[in-house]
Amino acid sequence: MADAKKGMIKISSSDNEVYSVERDVIRLSTTINTLLQDLGMDGDGVETENADPIPLQNVNSAILKKVIGWCQYHKDDPVPAEDSDSREKRTDDIPSWDVEFLKVDQGTLFELILAANYLDIKGLLEVTCKTVANMIRGKTVEDIRRTFNIKNDFTPEEEEQIRKENAWCED
Amino acid sequence: MLEIFKNKIDKPSPSNELISSQTFLTRKKHFRDTEEWKLKKRRIISKLKIMSKFNLALVLSRLPTIDKLPDKVLMNIFSYLPSQQMLRARQVCKRWKRVVDNPALWKFVSFRQNYGGLVVANLDYFLGLIGSRFCELKITELATDLITPSVLHEMANRCLKLQYLTLDFSTAMQLHDFTDLQSFPSRLKGLTLCLSENIFLEGFLRKVYTFISSVEILHIVGTYEKVEDEEEEVYETVNVHKLKQYLPNLRVVNLWGVPFITDEHVEALSSNCAYLECLCVNYCEKVTGSCLKLLLQRCKKLRTLFLAHAKLDNATIQSIEWQNTKVEELDIKGTEVSADTIISILTRLPNLRWLDASWLENFNDSVLEAWMASGTASNIQYLNLDTCDSLNENCLSEFVMRHGHQLRGLNLGGHHKLLEYFWINMIPQMRNINVLVMGIAEDCCPKVTAKIHVDQFIDCIAGNCPRLARLEIRWDDDTLRFSDKSSKFIDVMRLKCLKLHSMVLSDGQYYELVRSNFERADRMSVVRTTEMCRTGLLNCSRYYNQLLFN
Repeated sequence: MADAKKGMIKISSSDNEVYSVERDVIRLSTTINTLLQDLGMDGDGVETENADPIPLQNVNSAILKKVIGWCQYHKDDPVPAEDSDSREKRTDDIPSWDVEFLKVDQGTLFELILAANYLDIKGLLEVTCKTVANMIRGKTVEDIRRTFNIKNDFTPEEEEQIRKENAWCED
Repeated sequence: MLEIFKNKIDKPSPSNELISSQTFLTRKKHFRDTEEWKLKKRRIISKLKIMSKFNLALVLSRLPTIDKLPDKVLMNIFSYLPSQQMLRARQVCKRWKRVVDNPALWKFVSFRQNYGGLVVANLDYFLGLIGSRFCELKITELATDLITPSVLHEMANRCLKLQYLTLDFSTAMQLHDFTDLQSFPSRLKGLTLCLSENIFLEGFLRKVYTFISSVEILHIVGTYEKVEDEEEEVYETVNVHKLKQYLPNLRVVNLWGVPFITDEHVEALSSNCAYLECLCVNYCEKVTGSCLKLLLQRCKKLRTLFLAHAKLDNATIQSIEWQNTKVEELDIKGTEVSADTIISILTRLPNLRWLDASWLENFNDSVLEAWMASGTASNIQYLNLDTCDSLNENCLSEFVMRHGHQLRGLNLGGHHKLLEYFWINMIPQMRNINVLVMGIAEDCCPKVTAKIHVDQFIDCIAGNCPRLARLEIRWDDDTLRFSDKSSKFIDVMRLKCLKLHSMVLSDGQYYELVRSNFERADRMSVVRTTEMCRTGLLNCSRYYNQLLFN
């Protein structure tokens, strides 16, 4: 127990809820990880229990709770390889636990993306972006607008112009 | 509320209503025609509208929409979309158009329409795009009609990051005139040539040779077809001798199914390619293996050899000094090598981690015993012994008892002798398994007469194989025993084997049951039939991503 306690890090949400998270779990956030290293709070035996919580201005408690949950489940995942040579990226390989985890409304999904982006959690950003990509896949222009409630801000002339531009390639 | 909707639904057919109302409702005015109702209706509708607007505004004020995502994230999302879908996405709104048009999102674009690529309708416009939207292009595929001097010239000058180029001549009737070709992408790492049966590429390649010395990965894709009834003349449409002369940096060479490749060609390659790590001559039916001795001496880095369905000669293969090589991955599927030959290879390759020895009649118990006795099986992780009929249950059991813990992939499909008893005892030995294939299809004789209680398997797998990613069970409905309770076992496996993303089953009731179970859990496209899909170990090869298979 003593061992486990030593590695606890405190973080607080935008609405001032404080959470204690294992060092190993929060390591997945590159933002926090770098911060801890910069603050010299990384070594063994450094007293972190009584330190002030790290304030996360951009994440509210509801989302932060979910993010911590995701990190907890994925803390032992191997570091994803940087595959720059990839061809078409796959989106049908979201792990089932994540599929279940991401069964949320659009607003929450986008909040999770924003949090993953802000905290720089690569794995979470990847599965959330894949989930949105899957919502776009196979849809017509009009369907996409409807799905995401996007306003068509093109004038009819501009729309015609884009159609012409796209005509170099048959759809 | 219901009334309003009814009213609305009725409206589109005014002609009918008009007639009926005239005939039946002339005496007493219908309630819905009264002014009072119309007023009431208008009030309700406007109230509803305001309510929904209010709700929407409330929701929007609290939760972010896709608009709130920064460009960087939006790009990340779009990077998962195929090119066609991106062209649609740029029509959605101004912001999306701006983000989609970022060249960083157009790094991989295929223009091979037969393989789902974009179809270029306006060549001039396309030429213009090469310098703008496609200037970050890294990987591209061109079909015959786009392989023109002007396209190649533009790509050479504008796409400075182009590293992987596929030139598909397979549909070619005639080549363009390349006399004017002065430039060609010169920083390529990978080059793929899809040959046509009878168009000679030397005229084109002669112009190109000097630009491609940086190529490390070469694929020549033949036109292999299984029908061999006609003795058609085979044309040597590319000059392998010339290619190797200009390509000294090759690491990976794939000549899968190129009909004219002989040992002499492979030997020639080895004379100038000291960095070769992976060679594939699968389905090159003129290759006997006589090239391998020199190849393995010259190319000290060679780790992966694909020799499936080649006409390997026993004496030649046995004379190779396998013990002095670094071969870690070997494919001898479907060859006719003898038991002695297999023993002589396996017992001298201590680093072997990946072996495809499927469809080998001569892979028998004595081979497996000799392999185990020599101690060279201690690094094997992926093993494919599909349809090696000569192997017996006892011998395989001993192998799995001894090496099961190290196996990541095992294919023992097509063995009619391996039934319930074998698997129930063996599955607990394979705690690290990722890929597993078992069972035999109905059309393979001899027929399995025993029954398989599949629930036991599923339960056993759920309890022992937490890392399982792909599973194939080939027995059909006639052999499998299952019931209404089977779904419970599948539930357990679904929850225990969280990495499972592919399950292949024989088409039938059991397949339907498993599929609907997964789909209820919103896990689409996990369960497939053996007709649609086969589970292989090929993608576990280290070079899988660099090899291209048609």
